[in-house]
Amino acid sequence: MNVRASQHNNVVVQSLAQIGNCGLFLLTLLVAIPRSFRHVRETIRQLWFVGAMSLTIIMVCGLFIGMVLMLQLYNVLSIFGSTSASGMVVALAVYRELGPVVTALLFAGRAGTSITAEIGLMRATDQIDAMEMMAVDPIAYVATPRFLAGLIAMPLLCCVFCAMAIFGGHLVGVTWLGIDNGTFWSNMTAVVVVHTDIVNGVLFKSLVFGAVVSLIAVFQGFTTPPTSEGVAYATTRTVVASSIAILALDFVLTAFLM
Amino acid sequence: MSQQRSSYAVGTGLFIVLGFAALAYLATQTSSVANVHQGASYTVDAHFTNIGALKERAPVKIAGVRIGQVQSITLPPGQEVADVKLTIDKSYDRIPQDSVVTIFTSGLLGDQYVGIDYGSSQQFVANGGTLARTKSSQPLEEMLGKFFGAGGVSDNIGGTYTVKADFSNVGTLSVGAPVKMAGVAIGTVQTVVADPVKLDAKVTLAIDKRYNAIPDDSSAAVFTSGLIGSQYVAIQPGGSPDALKDGDEMVLTQSAMQLEDLIGKFLVNGSSSDTKSAGNGKSDIPPAGKH
Repeated sequence: MNVRASQHNNVVVQSLAQIGNCGLFLLTLLVAIPRSFRHVRETIRQLWFVGAMSLTIIMVCGLFIGMVLMLQLYNVLSIFGSTSASGMVVALAVYRELGPVVTALLFAGRAGTSITAEIGLMRATDQIDAMEMMAVDPIAYVATPRFLAGLIAMPLLCCVFCAMAIFGGHLVGVTWLGIDNGTFWSNMTAVVVVHTDIVNGVLFKSLVFGAVVSLIAVFQGFTTPPTSEGVAYATTRTVVASSIAILALDFVLTAFLM
Repeated sequence: MSQQRSSYAVGTGLFIVLGFAALAYLATQTSSVANVHQGASYTVDAHFTNIGALKERAPVKIAGVRIGQVQSITLPPGQEVADVKLTIDKSYDRIPQDSVVTIFTSGLLGDQYVGIDYGSSQQFVANGGTLARTKSSQPLEEMLGKFFGAGGVSDNIGGTYTVKADFSNVGTLSVGAPVKMAGVAIGTVQTVVADPVKLDAKVTLAIDKRYNAIPDDSSAAVFTSGLIGSQYVAIQPGGSPDALKDGDEMVLTQSAMQLEDLIGKFLVNGSSSDTKSAGNGKSDIPPAGKH
């Protein structure tokens, strides 16, 4: 019993320590931003890797989310004879919740894991130490460009995701199920407000999620034990921690922004 | 190497452009930028005693066409009327001063908007002016209340006397439902019991002692407040000189009207269900609330 209690205690203390280290790491990253301006090319390369290379999965998933949402809504709303409202519900649901959250989850799975694995392997193969030996700051050269790339890529990816979801909703609703094209768009434009839905919903949320996911990914990569097992664990932890952080933050942000 | 670097740069640039294009698409195609960004416009005041569920940025319409939006809704402290500021497109600057401003509801359950009906005055309302003639929002309950003769439920009922009434169908009338006369609550439904012999519903009404001069040939009817509201018993006074006393039975009753029946009769005059609904099916008496 005592052993179990102390283990329990250990877990709590360790988690707190992780959160504390993560916060300190964020400060280090932010401080290193001016120094990383010398490595703009690296940032662009990372933006290509985490952003442009994630486009395919984001676009396909956005398309299907919009399509399935429209299909479900059409079935329910047809009970009340108000299928013409389904377009606006798709838009609101995607802008306010599904767009940022699903994009962030996909981003964590697609980009976050590879950032962690890459940095973890750099650590395991002593590349980070070699950089320090050559007087290259690994934070400014490895960590910050990836963090910044995630920060920039997430809102852009989220916009693409939302546009694809609207397109998918239009495809199913108008082309397949026969909702009137005019009512689809006019109902949507009547309820979507740029400030609350697109700026606060799409852009702000995805910016926060991008920061959180890339922070967790870079942090896990840097703190991984330099073994193959350690890299595996760190990669898993990136996905788990990111997912929890995204969903919890989503609730908090929604409560604040509403 | 530089070849590869530039291909990264081009791809990343394309990605950024695509992202911003998507953002522009979201902002312009799926949202009402026109609602936010406006051309030249002017502001007009209107005062309403009840704005219902009118919200800021709700459309202002003439002949159903959007010409502006509600800019702000304020209730000046100490006043009873809400001050609604309307922003109207500059091109519609010839609105007569005696135009009537009304708060409408789009459809039965839709959003509310401000409609302007042109007056005949040669004087046009100017920027910052006030349109004096307004019609407030008509709450659906009030409208249907006028229609059905339902009013508010009165509280503090003192001593009561009970009257019985038989209905062939009480609908969803439950114990505690109000008993109203002329739309004013004068009592409550005490019991609703199905009669095992006569196969109808026996309803006991507890009526306030103050209303002791109700003619004994008055009729009782089960009405619904509003379209989907709860049901109540309405008493329509008769002309007899004798008044109802404690324990009396009301002979003239009118059962609950089923909305479906009503609409059915209204829409399809002489549908198949009409022939059998004359007796208003005794079998569909709902189980009584309490025994």
